[in-house]
Amino acid sequence: MDRPKGSVLVVGGGISGVQAALDLADSGFFVHLVEKSSAIGGSMSQLDKTFPTNDCSACILSPKLVEAGRHLNINLLTLSEVLDIQGGPGHMKVRIRKNPRYVDTEKCIACGTCAEKCPKKVPNEFDLGLGTRKAIYLRYPQAVPLKYAIDPEACIYLNKPGRCGFCKKVCPSGAINFDDRPEEMTLEVGSVILALGFRPYDPSALDFTGYKNFKNVVTSMEFERLLSPSGPCMGHMERPSDKSEPQRIAWLQCVGSRDINRACHGYCSSVCCMYAIKQAVIAKEHSKSGNLQSSIFFMDMRTHGKGFEAYYDRAREEGIRFKRARVHTVLPAKDDNLVLRYSNEAGELIDEEFDLVVLSVGLETDPEVIRLCHDLDIELDQDNFVATSPFSPVATSKPGIFVCGAISEPKDIPQSVMEASAAACGAGGMLHEARWTQTKKKEFPPERNVYSEPPRIGVFVCSCGINIASVVDVNEVTEYARKLPGVVFAQNNLFTCSQDTINQMAETIKKERLNRVVVASCTPRTHEPLFQETLREAGINKFLFEMANIRDQDSWVHQKWPEKATEKAKDLVRMAVAKVRGDEPLPYNHVPVTKKALVIGAGVAGMVSALSLAEQGFPVCLVERKEILGGHARKFYRTWHGRVMKEYLEELIKRVESNPNIDLELGTTIEDVSGSVGRFKTTLSNGKNVEHGVAIVAVGAESFKPRSGPWNYLYGKNPNVHTLLELDQRFIKDDEGLKGLKQAAFIHCVGSRVPERPYCSRVCCTHAIDQALKLKELNPDMDIFMLYRDIRTYGKREHLYQEAREKGIVFIRYDLEHLPEVWDDDGKIVIEVEDQIIGKRVRLHPELLVLASAVRPRDDVGELSKLFKCAMTEEGFLLEAHMKLRPVDFATDGVYLAGLCHYPKPVEETIAQAQAAASRAAMVLSRDSVPAESITAEVNPMKCTGCAVCTKVCAYHAVVMDGKTGKAVVDTGMCKGCGACVAACRSDAITLKNLGNEQIMAAVEAAMESW
Amino acid sequence: MFYATLEGLRRFKIPHNFEFISVISLYAKLIRQGRLRVDSSWNKEGLKFTCQDPCKLVRQGLGDVVAEDLRFVIKAVAGEENFVDTWPRLSNNYCCGGGGGALQAGFVENRRRYGRLKFEQLSETGADVVITPCHNCHTQILDLCDYYGGKWKTTHLWNWLEKALVLEDRDETGKE
Amino acid sequence: MQKEIVDLSSIRARVKKQIEGAVPDAKIDYCLTCGLCASGCPATGIEGLDPRKFLRLLVLGQDDEILKTNWIYSCTMCQRCKYACPMGIDVGRIVYEIRGMRPKDKRPKNLQRSCDLQKQSNSTGIPNEDFVWVVKDVLEEVRQNEPQWRDLKAPIDKKGARYYLNQNAKEPTVEPEEMVPLWKILHVAGIDWTYSSKWWDGANYCLFTGDPEDWEYTVRKQAEVVDALGCRYYINTE
Repeated sequence: MDRPKGSVLVVGGGISGVQAALDLADSGFFVHLVEKSSAIGGSMSQLDKTFPTNDCSACILSPKLVEAGRHLNINLLTLSEVLDIQGGPGHMKVRIRKNPRYVDTEKCIACGTCAEKCPKKVPNEFDLGLGTRKAIYLRYPQAVPLKYAIDPEACIYLNKPGRCGFCKKVCPSGAINFDDRPEEMTLEVGSVILALGFRPYDPSALDFTGYKNFKNVVTSMEFERLLSPSGPCMGHMERPSDKSEPQRIAWLQCVGSRDINRACHGYCSSVCCMYAIKQAVIAKEHSKSGNLQSSIFFMDMRTHGKGFEAYYDRAREEGIRFKRARVHTVLPAKDDNLVLRYSNEAGELIDEEFDLVVLSVGLETDPEVIRLCHDLDIELDQDNFVATSPFSPVATSKPGIFVCGAISEPKDIPQSVMEASAAACGAGGMLHEARWTQTKKKEFPPERNVYSEPPRIGVFVCSCGINIASVVDVNEVTEYARKLPGVVFAQNNLFTCSQDTINQMAETIKKERLNRVVVASCTPRTHEPLFQETLREAGINKFLFEMANIRDQDSWVHQKWPEKATEKAKDLVRMAVAKVRGDEPLPYNHVPVTKKALVIGAGVAGMVSALSLAEQGFPVCLVERKEILGGHARKFYRTWHGRVMKEYLEELIKRVESNPNIDLELGTTIEDVSGSVGRFKTTLSNGKNVEHGVAIVAVGAESFKPRSGPWNYLYGKNPNVHTLLELDQRFIKDDEGLKGLKQAAFIHCVGSRVPERPYCSRVCCTHAIDQALKLKELNPDMDIFMLYRDIRTYGKREHLYQEAREKGIVFIRYDLEHLPEVWDDDGKIVIEVEDQIIGKRVRLHPELLVLASAVRPRDDVGELSKLFKCAMTEEGFLLEAHMKLRPVDFATDGVYLAGLCHYPKPVEETIAQAQAAASRAAMVLSRDSVPAESITAEVNPMKCTGCAVCTKVCAYHAVVMDGKTGKAVVDTGMCKGCGACVAACRSDAITLKNLGNEQIMAAVEAAMESW
Repeated sequence: MFYATLEGLRRFKIPHNFEFISVISLYAKLIRQGRLRVDSSWNKEGLKFTCQDPCKLVRQGLGDVVAEDLRFVIKAVAGEENFVDTWPRLSNNYCCGGGGGALQAGFVENRRRYGRLKFEQLSETGADVVITPCHNCHTQILDLCDYYGGKWKTTHLWNWLEKALVLEDRDETGKE
Repeated sequence: MQKEIVDLSSIRARVKKQIEGAVPDAKIDYCLTCGLCASGCPATGIEGLDPRKFLRLLVLGQDDEILKTNWIYSCTMCQRCKYACPMGIDVGRIVYEIRGMRPKDKRPKNLQRSCDLQKQSNSTGIPNEDFVWVVKDVLEEVRQNEPQWRDLKAPIDKKGARYYLNQNAKEPTVEPEEMVPLWKILHVAGIDWTYSSKWWDGANYCLFTGDPEDWEYTVRKQAEVVDALGCRYYINTE
């Protein structure tokens, strides 16, 4: 067989598709990223904020989109669809249709003149029809690519040639092409990743919700747009009927989820509880009156992710009302308000009036995706999500095709991002022989040495179409710039970022022998890399560049004061010129990579990570503190899918033990770690030293044993009281004694969601219910009671909960105010708990009591985290770099995490995270060197007093004290250029390159000049 | 009882050669076909009409289709603008509380307590006439109106349909 | 205050099992106790019960309470709860089964009597001859008093008529003039229709007593009559 193709097709440009594309493109593969709409970003780009960090969704997503859009090894195919895929792993032919945009992306500079003149308004699908857009439109303000597109259904010209055509007339760059036609192309790739996401459930058919009948009943996705600053009411939170600010908002949970009657969706959509809480919290922040009353009506509050329970607790403290009730029908009230009538648990009917009702709609697969999967012969599950197995969570039934994100199950963003990296690992692992065979490499000319030259500064002032020029007098600013000291060239451009202007800029730099450049335009956030690259192409160091932000921070915010805005633009340009004058060329730092990984912990997570890397040809040192492999999984009977753990585990162990690339160190722990990404040195307890480029921490967790205290429930006192894993032991041993039991009971949340351990352990509801079902298999006549607080069988696990009820397992809810009482009556267990529905106390006599006890972090994790300079959560789990978008990376580069040490999770998620960690690690290991920050801190040893304050404030542990000299030294490989040490240094001994006193003070002084 | 026959035929798999239909669907069909000609001009005072969706006919019987037929006929008979709908409505409408044998079973107090919701809902519409296409609904809503002091008139549909009928001989001597 | 204690040494839940035997898709165990049913049920609170509590009593085997409560006669089996219930549980159907579990002499007298009469002929118990006589009498009166309706018809037992019309027994019994508008409407539309002199009653309370055999019997009789007349359509006046 020929060598596989070194390229991958990723279908779907949402967060998971983009993440998979970036991972692959950064580890040696060429990626074709296909997106159906005119811009990438997917559903995440429509969200206002994200839980549990309350980050602005667009703000954290944008950099990734920009990166994907600009990546040399990502071919972005927007407005495109997959028609057909032929072939198998390594060799696949994909037929793609690229629909016409009618706008030449090479020429379009996104000035917006076309949309301004376009006479045709249509409902904006990005705002779910709440607002309007023109027939020529930008999907959203931060769209990537930032190029307009014509909607052929709405366009007047395309429907009646000869009419309209205004956009073509006004486009300053001649980008409109009405003759654009669909194109079909065939791509040859080695593998395919489907990241097609979900669509929100449409509640129109649920008449009782009042959706479409009452204006002030909206879906949660619509509400996101009402909250969003880029939405139809610019983030002012107006209700649809009268644009007034709602003072009382209700959320109705489980609309289109956990409903086998009307919605035909038996699964739980996993994310709605959290997004409803988030919306309630954010709505409170948006409320101008400050006394917004938010109420969430729910069945079970499912806050099962990392940081979620704390978020829920905080929401309650902030006064958000949580009502365990469901409303049958939304009723109208006067002034377009709505009345919700609900029965509380005691059976009393209560009527409450609201100004706005938000339906927390679930997630479902788009019918078009279902059709594509049928065409591609990819197996779907009963809910029309792509079927996957717990032991290969991102593989489809079709070899060579992987999935990630909500296409395989409703899931949140961190989980989707994790799977994206896991899918990249799957595809990359399969194609590793072809790494770097199809990628391109950017070559730049050698850089001119400018040290000895006096500053020759060029200033480019951008009109940004009319974005800047309609407010700021750009000619005046250009003329002003020309006279500033050191400036030898100044020019105004209609669009500085357009391709021809960029080319011309490079020519100008060469011709005028410029050695410093200032661009006065939009924002460095999106455009700085483009201009810096232009400098390199023209043969000068990219750090000899400054940007003056005269659009986002000037023309856009001071539209009513053009004269003052012009003055401000001059000030900004003067400051930029003053700063750039002192800028020096900086090195493009690189750290050489030791091509070996260290994996700590040989449970399922560690073994999967190690194998994923070893099978790609990277040597791995796998360290395990015990003498045997397998970790926690050895005690675990079966997954909730019914797959027996032992079989999988034995196979996995065999593969690890027989892989020549894996060096096993059993009975060993980590003693010491030094170095940084690319060049770690670790000392093991057996005295060996390991040099490695990356490390994966997968040290697992423990199960909480309530030997004493409030959650004891006779544990350790009565032999028939077990933890979940102890019952699993009896299942593994085929314990005959279980068959004869007449009654069994489970208590959920033992030691979880309590003051001393406030988080939800995520796995126990599902695990306990699966065990109850196993007991029913053993003896169908056994009476089984589950005493629970909220059942959290998220996603497809909800089917298991339904099956348990179906089989007659009785669920009785308790809460912290009504705890079950358990006592020993002459060796027999007695439980009393109140059934809150019938308002009576129920007395049980189980012969077996199972405690679904918490998953707790291991005590020694703290030590390990210190060695790798990694952070921990309050609860003692390891803390990733970013909860939303970097779920397997540590803040320390080159160190990754997987499995239970991150947070409790079921085996399928552990495996996905382990594969993700391997993908992230491979991004480093696949290179000979990794880039490091250029703007780094520098210590002047003459001034350093050796106080070591800098070492304490550095979040990246990049500053250390030199043992010999007693002075601070900065490891440029680890320094991120944040400047914390500079600010902390009492002796003014530390400087940030190009951000030193010289440059900053020059800019500040320049600012003062006009005062 | 429409549902007794409909569901009886279904549940007990009773063999039969006829098609079982509701008179409401028949009215609507005949009006749509032009076989019944109706004229709402009699409603000069602009009497407002609303209706009850009988559970057994609508939710449990033929669904929203027959409820929409009912509205179609009322609008044709009383004038489009004179129909005021309820909420909830169609298949999701409240039961009046007279069905299920409640009228025969006794427990009068419970039956009226049950019907309170229906009474409030109908009062809310401000309608002068409540059309009750089912005999149980008719009796119950008549009683609720009387007991709780409603202001509407509870009637069957046929009385108004008769009133709005355009007759051949009337045509000759009348308007046309 | 000490709450009542329910001892569940074993859940017998005989009533639940009996219902599940008769109605395999009763789905009582599927209940999520979410309370959506109770929020939308006009019978919530009556006799201290609501659909959720009712199901919960069944699940926890509180059979005495289930068999004793008169809530089953406040629940009209309207199925509004089932309409929106996420699990689609049909409380009405369950109530029907429980009504049937009551001994006949413990059931509401008038309800049972209406059904018993229906099984003989019609729910009010008037003789069939009276029905025939009332129809003819009322028709005659209209023909005489209203000249434009002089050829109005109200056929009975007309073989081969295209439409068969039933008649709720309430009209011929207490308000016979209420039959006339429908006759007129059918007449104007040119509908070829007929009543039957047997099993003509459109009401049917056997649906509510809980005995399926009674219900089946009455419907079977109606079907036989209509088929014997050879009608293509059976119109119910509701």
